[in-house]
Amino acid sequence: MIFLPVIALIIGAAIAIAIRLEPVGGAGGQYLAVACLAGIDSVCGGFRAGLEGKFRNDVFITGFVSNILIAFFLAWLGDRIYIDLFLAVAIVFGTRTFQNLALIRRQALTMFNDYQTRKQRNNPAAPAAPSDGNS
Amino acid sequence: MSIFNARSESQSWVWPVSLMSLILGFMCALAWVTQENRKSRRPFANQQQTTRINEGQVDIDAFDQLQARVQELLKKNDALEKSLSGSSSQAKTLNESLQEVKSFSGLTELEGPGIVIFLKDSGRTAGSGFGNAETGDIIHDTDVLRVVNELQASGAEAIAVNEHRITGRASFRCVGPTILVNDIKISSPIEIRAIGDPKTLLGAMNLPGGILADIRQTDPSMVEINEVKKMTLKPYTGSTSARFGKVPVVKK
Repeated sequence: MIFLPVIALIIGAAIAIAIRLEPVGGAGGQYLAVACLAGIDSVCGGFRAGLEGKFRNDVFITGFVSNILIAFFLAWLGDRIYIDLFLAVAIVFGTRTFQNLALIRRQALTMFNDYQTRKQRNNPAAPAAPSDGNS
Repeated sequence: MSIFNARSESQSWVWPVSLMSLILGFMCALAWVTQENRKSRRPFANQQQTTRINEGQVDIDAFDQLQARVQELLKKNDALEKSLSGSSSQAKTLNESLQEVKSFSGLTELEGPGIVIFLKDSGRTAGSGFGNAETGDIIHDTDVLRVVNELQASGAEAIAVNEHRITGRASFRCVGPTILVNDIKISSPIEIRAIGDPKTLLGAMNLPGGILADIRQTDPSMVEINEVKKMTLKPYTGSTSARFGKVPVVKK
């Protein structure tokens, strides 16, 4: 269940390849790439919020769509007014993706530890878990 | 059993995230750098803004339309000149010398034997040479320039690069991923047609240590030369007006 987003990611790419869409070339491809970066950040953010139990559907979906559009058009606008907003978008979303991934990792670790302790508590007679007093 | 299922009470977030993930995967596949768009994406790899800005400036469709129109008008002009010359022998002589000058300067179609040279980027580095535009694996403007120069030197009477006729005002430049011939964008594979004695031209092109030998050293499949018995080169369709130079008037 939890790995469904990852599988969906692969399926999405497979669909694009299966219907033989031409990959975008030139500057357009570059703007699309930066929009992808924004999308990755949003999905990681949604994943994190889900693990933390703070997930809100409306916030996630509007955030995903608007982040992608903003990243694309900011990069495009930057090139029209000769300010390199492309870099700004890449740096901001790159940093946020890293932060989100770090938080996901911490959350996952916490959950794993919780799970371990609960397992121990449920069957204290298990030989794999030495009791606290022995050491 | 996944370890995360311990908290499966509120997993409503998985579906929306998966859906957006699907869209994201789709987008990533479109933004992927592949064999086809590798060339056009390569110059943006260093994230230079100027490259991206210059890229959008040329409107190719409008240019093609204009060029077709020019060709049409040139044909009409030819027909008019011919009909004018029909009346007297003086006009006929005049027209003959006019046509000669026009064919010399590349303003008329030219037919004859010659050779066709194809220059294309090496396919060897597909995907791996990304971001390194300086390698010998791609055809540069200087390669085209040197081939054309060598053809002129070996007696070619007319040369066209990707259907663009080379005249006295021809220029070759490199902008981003493309080569500009007479300020018109072309890209690999580049087809250079030359009218002249096929044997001489072939000999000059296959000269050991010549220009093409250089390119072949990198990858033999980058160059292909064919002999052609008869071909037609289109006329030059660019501007022929002069703004600064004037022909001096001879006083009697």
